[in-house]
Amino acid sequence: QGTTIAFGTMERDADAPVEIVSDELSINDASDTAVFSGNVVIAQNDMRLAAPRVEVIYLADRSGIDRLIATGGVTMVSGDEAAEADRADYSVEAGTVLLTGNVLMTQGRSSLVSERATINLDDGTAQMDGRVRTILQTGEN
Amino acid sequence: MSAASRSTGAKTVERYSRFVAWAKVILPLAALALLSTLFLLAKPNDPEKSIPYARVDIEDRIREPRVTAPLYAGVTSDGASLSVRAISATPEPGSEGTADVDRLSATIETAEGQRFELEAPSGRVQDSVTALLDGGVTVRTSDGYRMETEAIESALNKTYLATRDTVRAEGPLGRLTAGRMEVTTDAAGGGTLMVFNEGVRLIYLPQGDEEN
Repeated sequence: QGTTIAFGTMERDADAPVEIVSDELSINDASDTAVFSGNVVIAQNDMRLAAPRVEVIYLADRSGIDRLIATGGVTMVSGDEAAEADRADYSVEAGTVLLTGNVLMTQGRSSLVSERATINLDDGTAQMDGRVRTILQTGEN
Repeated sequence: MSAASRSTGAKTVERYSRFVAWAKVILPLAALALLSTLFLLAKPNDPEKSIPYARVDIEDRIREPRVTAPLYAGVTSDGASLSVRAISATPEPGSEGTADVDRLSATIETAEGQRFELEAPSGRVQDSVTALLDGGVTVRTSDGYRMETEAIESALNKTYLATRDTVRAEGPLGRLTAGRMEVTTDAAGGGTLMVFNEGVRLIYLPQGDEEN
């Protein structure tokens, strides 16, 4: 079963520039791949996605970026919500982020754990599925 | 005809033949004299002075030997064809294969067909092994990247480019700046590897949903 929760601000400007900062970027023309590595941070509007490695999937006509595959442990922040997962698949055009593997969503004091989460940046929602468990922090910490 | 007319006729014939005899002597002499004046009066022209050339260029060349429009072309060890062209090259005295080069452009075409075109206002070829381009280099690659940096080093015997400091690039991935860029052949997968490091910052403008 899936749970839909709010994640991040409502309207996202799909045309806002995407900024990617990293230690290194290597582009191989033969295999047509581009890989950011080393403290990679992807930022668009107020969404930040950090990972040690991000691979670029080009659009069909190579005129731009279709998706960014972040692997090696991803942390994502949007507005005042945060999420962690093993892997994230950020589709720039569609404005969705698919988190997979040990997804942990924290919202204020409570956090949710699941196998997968699909975050829709446009309407600021997150759809979690795959053994969703909620952990409530009781009492003051 | 009467005797008188016959005798005067004979006299005129005899006078005419004497005239002809004299003419046969005087006319050739006159021709000879005319011909000789042609050579006597002609201006003596000295072949040495008649060819005009400027002495400036020669002194300049003697002082600083220069090659104009040099072209260096070769194939690198990993199968890329490379050519360097310049406006002029000033060889370093006493060294083999080292020269300062003005306004050079270099083209590297890798075995897989990827092209790098470099242009720089000045540069230096060192022992015909590496070329340092400086003074503001622009690099264009066949897969749509255009890069600008202050100076770049290019090996002449293998595919190797390395910038000396920050580089700005624009291409399919958007606009990016990096501390350094290096182009080498990727031993594992083949093809060339363009590596930006020492801090990469890229701005990508999504095409937006309406357009595609």
